[in-house]
Order: sequence, then C-alpha cells, then structure tokens
Amino acid sequence: MASAALRYTGVSVGYQGVPVLTGVDLDLRAGQRLVLAGPNGAGKSTLIKSMLGLTQLLGGTATVLDRPPARARGLAGYVPQTGTLDADFPVSVRQVVMMGRYRELGWWRPARAADRDAVDRALDRVGLADRARHRFGALSGGQRQRVLLARALAGEPRLLLLDEPFNGVDAVSQEAIVRVLREVSAAGTALVISTHDLAVARELADLICLINGRQWAAGPVGETLTAETLRRAYGGAAIEVADGRLVVVEP
Amino acid sequence: MNWWDDVLHRAVTEVVLVGVLAGLIGVRVVQRRLSFLTMALTHATFPGVVAASIIGVNILVGGAAAGAVVALGVAALSRRPGQDAAAATGVLLSGGFALGSALVATQSGFSRDLSSLLVGSILTVDATDLIVTAVVLAAVTLLLTLCARPLLLTGFDRAGARAAGLSTGLWDVVLLLTVEVVVVTVVPAVGTILALSLIVAPAAAARLWSDRQPVVTGLAVLFAVASGLIGLSVSTRWNVAAGAGVSLAATGVLLASWPIARARVRGDAARSHPIG
Repeated sequence: MASAALRYTGVSVGYQGVPVLTGVDLDLRAGQRLVLAGPNGAGKSTLIKSMLGLTQLLGGTATVLDRPPARARGLAGYVPQTGTLDADFPVSVRQVVMMGRYRELGWWRPARAADRDAVDRALDRVGLADRARHRFGALSGGQRQRVLLARALAGEPRLLLLDEPFNGVDAVSQEAIVRVLREVSAAGTALVISTHDLAVARELADLICLINGRQWAAGPVGETLTAETLRRAYGGAAIEVADGRLVVVEP
Repeated sequence: MNWWDDVLHRAVTEVVLVGVLAGLIGVRVVQRRLSFLTMALTHATFPGVVAASIIGVNILVGGAAAGAVVALGVAALSRRPGQDAAAATGVLLSGGFALGSALVATQSGFSRDLSSLLVGSILTVDATDLIVTAVVLAAVTLLLTLCARPLLLTGFDRAGARAAGLSTGLWDVVLLLTVEVVVVTVVPAVGTILALSLIVAPAAAARLWSDRQPVVTGLAVLFAVASGLIGLSVSTRWNVAAGAGVSLAATGVLLASWPIARARVRGDAARSHPIG
C-alpha cells in the first residue's frame, strides 16, 4: 500500500464521548494541499487536533503518516492560531523558530550549525530574516503567523497542519503564506489548512473537505465547492457570482 | 572562631542564597502569571509549618507537604473546563491561613514562634538552614536548566506543546511544585506571608527593564539579592524586623522601576526593535 500522509475512513471525533464531527473520509498524499472549509464552529480545529491524536476518535479508522495519530505528534508540523499564544512572553523571533528544532535537539543538546541554518532558511522563506532578533509579541498578527509557519518549517515536516492561518492576517502576510505553502507542497510536503474563507480555499486547495458537524463534501475543488454542497453545509443560500466565486448568504 | 559562628555572616549568606533562588523562580512565576497562585501557596504553607512546629518535625517538611497538596489541587482545578480557578485559589488562600491560625490557637505561648513563621527570622538561621537553601538552589537551578525547553514551550504555546507531544498538565505540576519548594525554602528568611514579595517583586521589576530572557533573569536575581542585603542592613541598623525590611526593599525596587519602564516604552514608541 502506498504511503499516505492521511487516511481517514468513516471517522467521528469529539470530546468526552460527544461527537463534534462525523463521517469524515480523507485520503491525502505527499505534496497535496487539503483545505478544511466550513463556517465557524464547524469542527475544523477539532479535525486538525484529531490528526495529532489530541481529540477522541469515536468511530472509524484514522492513520497519520501511516501510524496512529498520537504517534505522529512531533513528526507533523503544527501551526496554531497566533491568538492562542502569549504575546507578552519575552522570546525573540529566532527563539520561537528554534522551537521547531526541539524534536532534533531533545531537551538539552545545544543548537548546532545545522539547526541554526534550518532556522535561518525558514525565516528567510517567510520573508522575516530581518526580524530574527525582534520580540515575537511586538510583531503584527500577520508577521507572527509567518513566524509560526517558519517554526513548523524548521522541523522539516512531511505533513504540515495549519489551523486558520489567515485569521487576522494582513494582505501582505497572506500573500507570503500562500506563496510559501505552494512551494512547500511542491517540494513534497502534504498540507492540511483550515479556513472559513472560501476564496482562499479555492485559491489554495488541491482537495477540499467541506464540513459542518459532518463531512458534506470532499474532493477536487470544482466538484466540492458547488452551490448545492455549500447550501447544505452552511444551511443557507449559496449564490454564484459572475467571476465564478461563490458567496454564501445566511438564510 | 569559625566564620559561620557569626550570626550576621550566616544571615548575609542566607539572604544571598535566598535572593538568587527567589529571583530565578520569580521570573517563571511572573512570566506564567502565577503570582496570585504563588500567594495562595505561601498562605497554604502556613498551616503546614505551624503543624510541623507543633508536632516537632522540620518546618520545611510540614510546609512542603501542605503546599504540595494545594499545588496539586489547583493544578487539578484549573484543568477542569468551566471552573473559576481564581475563585478556588482565593478560597484556598484564606482557608489555608485560617487553618494555620486555628492551629496556633490550640497552643499557648506560641505567639513568638508564630511571628517568625509569618515574617521570618533571618538572625536565627542556623547551619542546617543554610545547607538546605544551598541544596535547593542547586536542585532548582539544575531543573530549570535541564527542562528549559519544555518549560518554555508549555508556557508560551500550549497548543504547540501538546502537538509536539508534551503533557502540558504534567509540566504545570512540575513548575508549581518547584515554586512550592522555593516558597518553603525561603520561609526561615522572610516567612510565609512575605515570601511573595521577594519572589514576585524583583522579577516583575526586571521584566520592566528588558525583553530578553537572560537579562530579565540576571536582573531579577540581582534585584532579589540586593533587596535581601538592603533589608538585612536596615533591620540591623534600625532594629526593624528583617523579613519586613527585605519585603519593603523588594517593593521599593519595583516602584522605582516603573518610571524607567515608562521611559523605555516612550523611547520605542511601542515599535518593534531588536532585543537579541
């Protein structure tokens, strides 16, 4: 069987026995970009956390990098939402990116040239090499998100999970993140990106998984983001406008 | 005559050791916003210390046992969603102190010892106290050095720490128990009630001076040791209680640091600038 970044079959996930999301079928291979789309509260974060074994698997089978999700912790790169981090913490941008090397470094081995190079390369990639010595919390929201992306890249993961990477991010940073994600997947890394922004989803995805409490559609963009599936997932009216973009209107 | 036989020599040594210890852990306490929790730990230590001195065991053992119960209790409470950890901590704080007072009331002729447990009695520090403080200082320094990475990650980014396979709950307990050990260790010098100011004030002041972790840590240690020495010197010269002198000196350092922090922020105009 070919190696898969993600393989979900009939998966239900939740907390303390209560399902948040049901009926998820996913198959993601190296170099593919999967976008998890759906409204706020749809279960996108829960699904991403399930890929690290941090939520309860209530049904179905799930493997991540060909192993149980909890065993993939530390192997997959994870980019949290910047809002969940403590902006007052006295850490520099470079220190934050170095955290991405902790898997190689262990608890106390000092950083070597290879680690420092990986950090420099990652920062350079997201266009923030000149901010390495700045305090993380002093950067803009978009820049912080790019630093967190650089941190994940410094660990050279085969699978990269991003939880709402475009939330509260300015246009310049969004463009930079989209560009880097395209490069990273072209180099063979599988990506999972959650967003409630359908325009970004359409721009970035090879595959889309449309969820809201359950999986409503999954597959290539054209087949997935139709007026019909969106209407079902969002419970409202989806209207197609002239340039081929879909707008969801609350009922 | 041995150098250690001099009361003042022993007091100075203890104040320096305790200052380094308080500065090191204080940086973590302030960074993780655990000041209020630490306040509760100091008060919960009080009944343990009283009970130990009533039954005649080492007060460090009694304080550590009582504080560990509270540290674990608070860690468990704060993990339950929907629980108001601040309310629970506040109740533990006054409850612990009340229990200590109740225990004191069961004994007659206890008021002198009581005051030394509350505000310290640095001039009666003996060789055992010094050895205990030095051993704890070495152990805490070792722990904070060896576990620097997991402690940094769990403090800064909990979701990221869990994704990396760290148990954030376990590391919270490690930190809380370390804080508790420090609180108990500084009791002979500054007492249970005044320990908080020596732990929190120098670290909070240091954070106003710098954004760099190594600088903040160095300054916190420096401020705490200086507060100890100033407090001790004031107390021997003007016959003020030493614990109170140390506590007031630490508070003074924090107050004096405010204008500097304001000037720093104005100078930067809140702009991003290199810190490393």
